[in-house]
This record gives sequence, structure tokens and C-alpha cells, in this order.
Amino acid sequence: MRRPSILQLALGIGLTAVLLAAPRMLTIVQTRMLTEIVYYSLFAVSFNLLFAYAGLLSFGHAAYFGLGAYVTAISLKNLAGMPFLAVIPLSALAGATGGAVIGFFCVRLKGAYFALLTLAFNQFLWAIAWKWREVTGGDDGVGGFVPRKSLDLGILSIDFTNVVSKYYLTVVIVIVCLALGWHLMRTPFGNTIRAVKDNEERASFLGYNASRSKLLIFILSACFAGIAGSLFALFQDFVAPSVISLSTSTEVLFMAFLGGTGFFFGPILGAAIFVYFTDWISSLTERWELILGLLFIVLVLYFREGFVGLIHSRLKALFAPGKSN
Amino acid sequence: MPILQITRLFKDFSGLKVLLGIDLKLEQGERHAVIGPNGAGKSTLFNVVTGRYAPSRGTITFNGRDITGLRPHKIARLGLARSFQVTNIFRTMTVFENVRNAILSRNGRRYSIFPTLARMRDISEETERILDLIALLDRKDELAGELAHGHQRALEIGMTISVNPDLILLDEPTAGMSSKESRETVKLIEKVTEGKTLLIVEHDMDVVFSLANMITVICYGQVLAAGTPESIRKNQQVKDAYLGEERK
Repeated sequence: MRRPSILQLALGIGLTAVLLAAPRMLTIVQTRMLTEIVYYSLFAVSFNLLFAYAGLLSFGHAAYFGLGAYVTAISLKNLAGMPFLAVIPLSALAGATGGAVIGFFCVRLKGAYFALLTLAFNQFLWAIAWKWREVTGGDDGVGGFVPRKSLDLGILSIDFTNVVSKYYLTVVIVIVCLALGWHLMRTPFGNTIRAVKDNEERASFLGYNASRSKLLIFILSACFAGIAGSLFALFQDFVAPSVISLSTSTEVLFMAFLGGTGFFFGPILGAAIFVYFTDWISSLTERWELILGLLFIVLVLYFREGFVGLIHSRLKALFAPGKSN
Repeated sequence: MPILQITRLFKDFSGLKVLLGIDLKLEQGERHAVIGPNGAGKSTLFNVVTGRYAPSRGTITFNGRDITGLRPHKIARLGLARSFQVTNIFRTMTVFENVRNAILSRNGRRYSIFPTLARMRDISEETERILDLIALLDRKDELAGELAHGHQRALEIGMTISVNPDLILLDEPTAGMSSKESRETVKLIEKVTEGKTLLIVEHDMDVVFSLANMITVICYGQVLAAGTPESIRKNQQVKDAYLGEERK
């Protein structure tokens, strides 16, 4: 288990360096796409914390992403004097609170019932976003909330209408969250989550509170999803009910599986491929969702380990003969 | 004060009466075996004491504290540990991680978020000490689910003692073993539970007579007899109900 960890850590550091240097080499359009990849990465990893580490399949992860996005949009739009960067912790809190309330009911259930209840809560929140026009704007959404005034930090002033500034904001927040998630999974807390996933009963009889463990990872996951949603809202400067819809929930599931749920960084590659692929294919055909669906079927049938799993097993095969030396 | 006192304990499962007023008392340092024919309610008794099922009636006190109906993790944290009849381990985790799960819990580090596990020297050392004791140190990186049955049973016992409990409940520790494996397991149990209070359910009479200094016989959910191994051996009722059958 140690070896892939170090490999993944090196990969993480390398990726960080590339991400920080990227805007110098990319066009504005490419930087926009990369920003999308970065915040979707956090969203996909948040989904996978719950799925891979706790064994809980959430079919309604857009609920927390959407909560973060709407809280960001509505608070910037309606609260005068709302400090710009405070919306990110506020969205994190919104995601976590949503996770705590929904998780409280869900973690008691197992398997399909768990998944169904997460889906039901997701649909419920979507209905609120759709119908509560006074606050959410209904299907018109909320837009134009990112302040046009530059943020003055004394030593530097940041203009958040600028794509590159938004990119750096997104990258920094996402890297902090991913590093935190990566660390947590290596502590007794992460170990507890794995132990409860493996054998809930044995864990209980060793003194572990299984429901509480599941609730805690649910809250953490929802919190990260909320932050991802906030970054989405800040970047798009527009939020509509589609962010909290079931199709967003299936997209994140797709991203995680595409990259490989067995690896911490798998969903990141998944998010990258997903964003790039959907952009490319939607420029070719209007029926791109059909192709996406077919791709998902192939993935589930033949490549369950995802791309990182595929690369991992190839690398292992490549290095296996040298292993005996 | 007895370490465990069970008073008039009843359990029915939607009308099926399994325990019909069990009384049982365990003193500090006692090594107590519960025996009885299949379906007598031995395992149910264990499951009620450790919190898997709530009793229908009756009380259970442990170290002077009423634990009746508490949830399993609460009871475990008070210092009552159990093993299971059907091997119950963390199959996708390594042997080392299995024992470490118990050590972390015992040290109250279940939710620590700093530092990482790899840096917790004290935890690792304690884990290795237990692994050495149960002779699984050289298999510590193997997946628990891939171990041979005998090794899994040893791991199960290792985890149970790792939480440093005041009272250890072993549910048929030699189930499904050959007589040779069984003898080794008895030796292991003697070694790792030295000086501890033990409550054990067992079918194998050789195991019972070599481990226990007190025996309670239960039959159809009631206590048939209780006493020292010698007195149980001589008890005519017990012979008729149970021991005689086994000797045929």
C-alpha cells in the first residue's frame, strides 16, 4: 500500500507545479476549461471520499454542490457588504450542514436504500431551487453577482472578472482541500472510515460508533462538494437549477468512475477527461449525451477500475519482472 | 463486587423464547465456561450481553454499571470485548491493520486527525507486540481475508485482547478446527488471557475443562447447573442432558 501512496503524492506535487505554471502557456479559452476541470476535480474527489473510502454510493451529490453554488450566488447578490472571499467558507458550511441533515437520515440505511434516499433529497432541493423564484430566480437562475470592483489586499489587488485570477483562486482552494482530504485519509479518522466500510459489526464491537463515522465522512464529502459548487458559481457568475439537478449528480459519478474510484487522484483524471471530452464531442454533434451514455456503459462493463486503474495495472505489469531483483 | 452480573435475563424473538430467566455471576479473574446443547441459547446470551440484541427483560451489570440495552460500541468501550463464532475480521485490511484498529480504539484515537498513522510509533509498536504474541508478525502485511482459517481465528482472538478489556467473551473459539489446531488455540488463549476474566462458550469439552474453573450449563434458555468443573462432571442432570450425549 505504501508504494502507490508515494507515487500518488509525487503525482500530486507534480500536478500542482504544472497547474500553477499553466496559464502562462494556455490561451484564455484553455484556461477557462482548465478552471472547470479543477473545480470539478474537487467535486469528483468529494464524491469518491464517500464512495471509495466509506462504501456509500451517493446518487444525489449535486445537492451539496448546488447548495454551495446557490449560497455563493444568493449571498453575493443580496447581502450588501458581503466580503467576497467569505462566500467560500460560507458555502463550505452550507454543504456541510446539508450533509449533516441529509446524512443523519441516510447513514442508517444500507446499499440501494441509502442511494435512493440521497437521490430523493437531491430531487427535493432541486424542486426548491426550481420553484422558489423570489430567492433562486427559478429557471432564470441568478447571475451577475461577482463584484466588478477589484479586491484590494493591500499588497496586491485582484480583479475577479479576470479569467486568470479566477483560475488561481480555484486552483489554490482546490489544492488546499485535496491536500486536507489526502491527509485525513492517512490518519486514524480515515482508518476508522475504512474499517467501518470493511466490517461495520466488528468495528462496533471494538468500540467504533459506525453511524457516527459514516455521518462524519458524509459531512466532509458534502463540505468539499459545497466548496466546489461555490467555485463553480464564482467562475460562471451564473447559477441555475441544473447545478443541483440529478444530471449533475450522474455527471460527478461518471467522472469518478471514468478516472478510477480505487485511487485518491483517480476522479481528478476523470474530471479532466470528462470536461475535455464533453467539450470536444458537443462541438461535433448535438447528440453528445447519447455517446456519453454509451461510453459509460462500456466503462461499467469493461473498465471498472477507470483510467487510473488501467494505467496502474499496465505499469504493474511493466515493472513486475524487475520486482524479484 | 462481581465483574459481571446477569439477573433474570429473558430474550424472545417475536414469540420464540430463547432465554428464560438466566442468572449468571462472574467474579474478577474467573474463567467461566457456558456449555449446553445446540439451541440452548448460549450465543444469544453472548449477543445480549455484548449489546447486539437488547434483552426482553432482566438486567446486566458490568463492573457495577448497568449496561442493559446499551449499544455494542458503548459496551466495548467500557472494557468488555468479544470474539465471534463465525470469524469476524476486517477482510480487506492487512493483518497489521486489523490489530491496529483495536489498538487505536483502546487508545481513544478513533477520530484523531493528527498526525498520520505512519507517524504513530507507539501505536505501531503496540500492534506489533500483539502480532508477536499471536504469532502473526511475519504475516502482518497479508490481507486478513486471505489467511488460513486457523490464523484468522488467532487474529480474531488477537483483536479481542488488543482492546485490553476487563472481561473477554470468546464465542466458540475452536469452532471448525481439527483437534490439533484446537489444542494450539487453547494454548494461545491461555497465553494471551493470563490473569484476565474470561467468559467462554464452547462445544469441545476438552477445551472447556482445560480452560475453565467455573462452568454454567444452560439448556432450553435456563440454567441447568453451575459450579466447578468437577461438580459439573458428576452432576447427573447434566450427564443426562448433555455430557452423556456427547460421549456416545
